[in-house]
Amino acid sequence: MTRRVFILAAIGAGTAWSLLPQKAKTHITVKPFKVMAAVQEVLFPKGLQAPSALEFGATNYLLMVSTHSSFMKSDLNFLTFGADLFINEVPNFFKMSPDEKEEALRDFVDDNSKGENWVSLLLFYTLEALLSDPIYAGNRNESGWTWINHHTGQPQPKIKWADPV
Amino acid sequence: MKYDVCIVGTGAGASGVAHTLVNAGKKVLMLERGGFLKEKDFSKDEVAYCKRDIITPKMEECYHTIEDKEEGKWVKTPTYVNESSFFNGNIVGGSSNVMSGYFHRMKPDDFRLKSRYGAIEGANVEDWVMNYDELEPYYEKVERLIGVSGEVTPYKHHEPRSTKDFPYPALEEHPITKLIDKSCKTLGYVPYKTPRAILSKPKEERNNCYYSNYCGSYPCISGAKGSARASLLQPALKTGNLTIITHAFVKKLVEKKSKVTEAIYIDTQTREKHSIKATLFIVAGQAVESSRLLLNSKSKNFPNGLANNSGQVGKNLLFSAGGVGSGQIDADVMNMKDLMIEGKFVNRSLCDWYFTDEMKGGVVDFLFEHANPISKAAKQRWDGNNLVWGKELQDRIFTKFTTKKQLNFEIFNDWLPTDNCFVSVDEKYKDIYDVPVANIRIGAHKHDLEVGEFLAKKAEKVLEEMGAKEVYSSVSSYPPANLQAGGCRFGNNPKSSVLNKYCQAHEVENLFVTDGSFMPTGGSVTYTWTIYANSFRVGDYIVKHQEKWFS
Repeated sequence: MTRRVFILAAIGAGTAWSLLPQKAKTHITVKPFKVMAAVQEVLFPKGLQAPSALEFGATNYLLMVSTHSSFMKSDLNFLTFGADLFINEVPNFFKMSPDEKEEALRDFVDDNSKGENWVSLLLFYTLEALLSDPIYAGNRNESGWTWINHHTGQPQPKIKWADPV
Repeated sequence: MKYDVCIVGTGAGASGVAHTLVNAGKKVLMLERGGFLKEKDFSKDEVAYCKRDIITPKMEECYHTIEDKEEGKWVKTPTYVNESSFFNGNIVGGSSNVMSGYFHRMKPDDFRLKSRYGAIEGANVEDWVMNYDELEPYYEKVERLIGVSGEVTPYKHHEPRSTKDFPYPALEEHPITKLIDKSCKTLGYVPYKTPRAILSKPKEERNNCYYSNYCGSYPCISGAKGSARASLLQPALKTGNLTIITHAFVKKLVEKKSKVTEAIYIDTQTREKHSIKATLFIVAGQAVESSRLLLNSKSKNFPNGLANNSGQVGKNLLFSAGGVGSGQIDADVMNMKDLMIEGKFVNRSLCDWYFTDEMKGGVVDFLFEHANPISKAAKQRWDGNNLVWGKELQDRIFTKFTTKKQLNFEIFNDWLPTDNCFVSVDEKYKDIYDVPVANIRIGAHKHDLEVGEFLAKKAEKVLEEMGAKEVYSSVSSYPPANLQAGGCRFGNNPKSSVLNKYCQAHEVENLFVTDGSFMPTGGSVTYTWTIYANSFRVGDYIVKHQEKWFS
């Protein structure tokens, strides 16, 4: 099983849900996150040195942070709304070749200002996942920081959300 | 229990007076809206401290409305719409926890701006009712107690000092300072070594700076940064005279017979209402929230808000005017090994045009772009108006982080007080505690932009002389949310000011306001040093005249 298939299967099967606090689970539907995972892999593919979105945990990060009370509800709503809109317009996206996916995404952005806003927001959170502390489930093994030779500030967080309670 | 003094807020303006009163034996209670986080709790977590409402109220809990002019009409927009908060550091110690600590004193002529330059049409400039000499001893006290590191740079506008040197030597500098100094010399500018409220040597229980490279926007782990918490409140707590109640949102001050009798606060964790009784009440919740509290504290004697029969509460709000600029420094400009050194400070300013013959100028501070990687990378997804992703984005990010550094400058000039910049409250917009939120009208005077542009051109020349690429600047009339003052001016005339010379309300003898609200003009510097100094000054005044309230 490739890592890509594994992560999508994990989301579907509920493994990734272990990242979420119990009370948060009811607020999220899986399908938009599957769509976002596939789009994130186009936005941030495997590079010569750069880790891909799948490798550094972009979607796992989003699953974790978007259910915390500090995440803007309007952002979560727009992310899922955009994913639904996108997959309705491009229903066979999952089956496309990399070049076809790139073209479909570019068309979606060029044809639709909402499309551009959605991709921009999803890309923002993809980069947040790439370069945030690994405590939030992105930047796996500090692969994002290592790629650009970034030295993070010390000390790193031992708890999420700076909340000692 | 009745306390001697109840203080609303725990930031710089609250803590100077608290420290003084506690050490004079007064029983002081401080009410803080947020929690009490200490050195052991902090980290350099960009998501928590810079990307989310963790140390500010959640937008669903409380917000502001920003009133800006759109097509000729003033329009109010809640901050949750554009996600731009005007709260700053709501934890014990306030926003001083997350300041960068670029510390400048105001100059003697800042206290008499109207006398020096005359009135400006459309602006409400007034001289202060104290002069520089009255505040100087307290600026010096801040250097010792808060801890200011630096080296005095002589230049023509330097303010008089009662001591020769700073009590702490200058912090370690990045090698780029040599290039800045050389370029300034070529241009005939004087590079001014920026004092910082960051310890270069240990002080009592506080350690010196460890050059984390993650300074501004983050609380300090070593205690080196001169936050009100580390420098004043943690020591003051040891006297046994200070009590701090956290998660306490003060919704109203209750007045009877022109005296405040109690502060009503909501515990934001339990939503329960509580009352605090005290002899003296001091408000220091940062300028916007201080005016909001007074405006919301209506009574029979004060139908327009506490101490507001003059109608002046909330008026003449100040921010800092100016803007930002930048240039790219790469291997063509200096060797990469030196350039990529992390954590050391730039600490250079230009103050040559603080005063010109024609107009009041301001200050330019130089600094590297913040190390926060998320913010830096996210900007790379836009190439002009085009959204960039995939390999092209990866190339842009990799180049940005590994081949160059961005040297920024920040411009600070006076935000002229006008009738179009004020705090008001509106029953239509309330927080979850059913209290009207602060509306902030943010109109700026066009003169502010002219001064900012003048300074930006001077600063750009330094970057160009250095050989920096893509030199750019942007002067804006949009206010920086973290640099607030004014709203409760001090003055001698109760009809045109809220507070007297000692920041005591003209109309309410047991009420003081000790954050930046008292300032009629703000100077062309960040406010924190002046706010600390004035808070100590008011503390001394209360102690000296304590028989007026404590018999």
